[in-house]
Amino acid sequence: MSADTFTVGKTEIRKDAWDKVTGAAAYVDDVALPGMAVGMVVRSPHHHARIARIDARAARDVPGVLAVITAADVPGSKTFGPLAQDRPALAVDEVRHLGEPVAIVVAESKTAARRGVKAVAVEYEPLPAVFDPTAALEPGAPQVHPGGNVVTRYDVAGGDVEAGFAQADIVLEHVFEVPRIAPGYMEPEASTAEWGADGTLTVWVSSQKPFEDRHQIASVLGLPQDAVRVRSAVIGGAFGGKEDSGLAILAALAAWAVKGTVRLVNNRHESFLAHPKRHPARLFYKLGAKRDGTLVALQATVHMDTGAYSSYGPAVGGLLTEMVPGAYRIPHVRVETLVVYTNSPFSGAMRGFGSPQAHFATESLIDMLAGELGMDPLELRRKNILRPGDRFFTGVPLDRTASSLPVILEHVAAARARLAAIPAPAGRVAGVGFALAVQSMGLGYRVPDDSTNRLEWAPDGTIRVYVGAPDLGQGLATAAEQIAAEALGIPYSDVRALAVDTALSPNGGVTCASRMTYVVGNSVMMAARQLIETLLAYAADKLSVPRAALAYRRGAVVLPSGETIPVAEFASRAADEEVPLRAEATFSFPYPEATTPKHLPVGMPHGMFVFGGQVARVEVDRDLGTVEVTNLVAIHDVGQVINRAGVEGQIEGGVATGIGYALYESVRLKDNGQWVDGFTEYLLPTAEDVPARIESVIVEVPEASGPYGVKGVGEITLVPTAPAITNAVCDATGVRVTAIPIVPEDVARAADPA
Amino acid sequence: MKPITVTLIVNGEPRTITTEPNKTLLYALRDDLGLYGAKDACGGEGECGACTVILDGEPVNSCLVLAGQADGCHVETIEGLAAGGQLHPLQRAFVETGAVQCGFCTPGAILAAKALLDRAPDPTDDQIREALSGNLCRCTGYTKMIAAVRRAAEEMSHVR
Repeated sequence: MSADTFTVGKTEIRKDAWDKVTGAAAYVDDVALPGMAVGMVVRSPHHHARIARIDARAARDVPGVLAVITAADVPGSKTFGPLAQDRPALAVDEVRHLGEPVAIVVAESKTAARRGVKAVAVEYEPLPAVFDPTAALEPGAPQVHPGGNVVTRYDVAGGDVEAGFAQADIVLEHVFEVPRIAPGYMEPEASTAEWGADGTLTVWVSSQKPFEDRHQIASVLGLPQDAVRVRSAVIGGAFGGKEDSGLAILAALAAWAVKGTVRLVNNRHESFLAHPKRHPARLFYKLGAKRDGTLVALQATVHMDTGAYSSYGPAVGGLLTEMVPGAYRIPHVRVETLVVYTNSPFSGAMRGFGSPQAHFATESLIDMLAGELGMDPLELRRKNILRPGDRFFTGVPLDRTASSLPVILEHVAAARARLAAIPAPAGRVAGVGFALAVQSMGLGYRVPDDSTNRLEWAPDGTIRVYVGAPDLGQGLATAAEQIAAEALGIPYSDVRALAVDTALSPNGGVTCASRMTYVVGNSVMMAARQLIETLLAYAADKLSVPRAALAYRRGAVVLPSGETIPVAEFASRAADEEVPLRAEATFSFPYPEATTPKHLPVGMPHGMFVFGGQVARVEVDRDLGTVEVTNLVAIHDVGQVINRAGVEGQIEGGVATGIGYALYESVRLKDNGQWVDGFTEYLLPTAEDVPARIESVIVEVPEASGPYGVKGVGEITLVPTAPAITNAVCDATGVRVTAIPIVPEDVARAADPA
Repeated sequence: MKPITVTLIVNGEPRTITTEPNKTLLYALRDDLGLYGAKDACGGEGECGACTVILDGEPVNSCLVLAGQADGCHVETIEGLAAGGQLHPLQRAFVETGAVQCGFCTPGAILAAKALLDRAPDPTDDQIREALSGNLCRCTGYTKMIAAVRRAAEEMSHVR
């Protein structure tokens, strides 16, 4: 596309990169405000306990301690939550997971705050705890909340699954397990809140959803929304885990309590224990096929552990349910998903949002079926992939967008052949595996799914983009700038996106769900058209000519004579008159009446999809069972590329996260009753654990409703990785892994039972 | 705890601070000297590399060094890397290669790479991967970081 575009499709350099390589970029913890106090959180040492008594007197007497805040002090709503208000800002009478906030100590220094935290005496009466979702469903299981342990239950069917299995020549039944995953953003959660003399609060956040934070903070503080201003600092990664207002609420409470400025920064252990993770799940699958490989029926029951609080668990469960059949046409499907409370640290949104869990099971089982049928797993997929005109089991039809799947599959075939030709070194066995994936975009039907953004002509003729949703580090600001520049025909260097400030920015929605380039881009294009109209109306007025006599071209107003006047001439004048030239537009994610089924629970179905496939080559050490991913080819349909380096960056980062899912990562309960809660035991892939070059193949099938043909890419990039790797391990060793992360000893033992 | 006085030669300039004896070099840089480029991503346990600085020529996790231990030592931080307003080739390569996303690991990764190039001007991919293996990154998958280090090495070899 770049041949006939201005900037779209080109690898422009992100504008914040310069500050980030010099250390000048200011994250929340890098800004010291005058008179700022330190907040630290007293956290539960128990998995589940009644709070008999909190005695903060000794803590208040510690020199330098300014305040100790408990639930009794919370002025507004004691609980909050994005979907259900089931989570106390500070524990009320009971703690439900290790690390739950019980009190905040505000002090003049870190040392005083630490002493204060130690001096808060909390008397607990331990209660029985449950950590496994299947166990939590048993009668007599410890009750995490009064209403029972089932948060949400979905039972969604397409076709008649019994009739489907009756047609099957072969039926496979297997159970899969996937672990609890920490988002692993490098910047732990941080928030600074400042109480103003006029009774308003300003809260700096590292968050995916400043507008939602404002709502939650106002609710817990008992303040009107307009008394709370939320500002986005530079964000050090998020991956879904920063769709959580917890720490911002605590910072706001602390500032309110001392009528001053307070910063709270989680250390990594606090981040592990008290911030959202990807749901662990147990997936019971039953798949039926004809002898020729035609898939006829799939039934799944899924137990998802959402931990002590629901967070986005119900929505994750909904999307997981939709994603169970993966990228395949299966006429008869039934999925039952149970989202279950336990006393584990809670799970919520994380990159993939239910899709990685479902795909691990589906893509493993497809390979297992191929093995049973004696068929090439590539042929089996070729026979069953979704194609334009097919429907998901929810009833959503697939249009031209699905034409990328067969293309992706042929890239998979080529990469597989190339990687299979690489010989294994001595002492190791090599194998090649692959997997396909589908990922929805957007929040789902009947969930507000809008994004409002604003363009403004600065007096010098450059453009300010008030993007209403934060850039998490992935490059949303760059995409918005490129799209604005393209739509207005001006250089990328003349466009600058501003950080979100709820007092100045329109509400762009939550940065999530692989939808941002699509929704923000569409909104920016709409705003650009309006902005040109606003400019020409203003210019016509100033020049005393009819509007129709003027045209706009590349940052200039064109007069009937052909003469041009730079926009700056008008923009500076308009600014002087305090009527700046600006335009704002709202784009709503489309859920077309004709193609959106109405029989499903709220949040279902999703209506737009991206597709991908990945091929992994692994080498397995025969003696140790350790797995090295030596090559990974990632093929993804993104609609059309806005910024190639940006898309590749999403792919490469997603793949590395997927490698961690397959091989290393699990927030698990240790024998000593403590959780894995730090990078000593929770192993993020390092530069030596991923291939030196992750190969990206970008397939472009333009999306008609997308800005310059864009779809999305944020989440799918890690979805096929784990099953591609376990399928490769099976190819190398014959060992089928049904629970990740892979345990090397198990692979070694199974590969060589002697 | 009795405060101690420590002199650090930070980016070539002697800086004397009076601080707690248990203060790490990381927090001396951040809290006492206002140099925020070194980050704390793992809780001060030496697991993430975000606080990497170069101490007397060696890359170290500044969270594992007490400020007092660094008394009299040369400390290179990210803030000192752009000499005379000119970005270091590594900084430029990180920007131009797309190796920067959220940026939280970037200062540490660049300094780890600089320490590598200081001793091995023409590193192999495996040397680069090893040099960066102490610097965790969740955004990039390392591909573009490795490419950036290679590119900077090539550029610097032309200059020599």
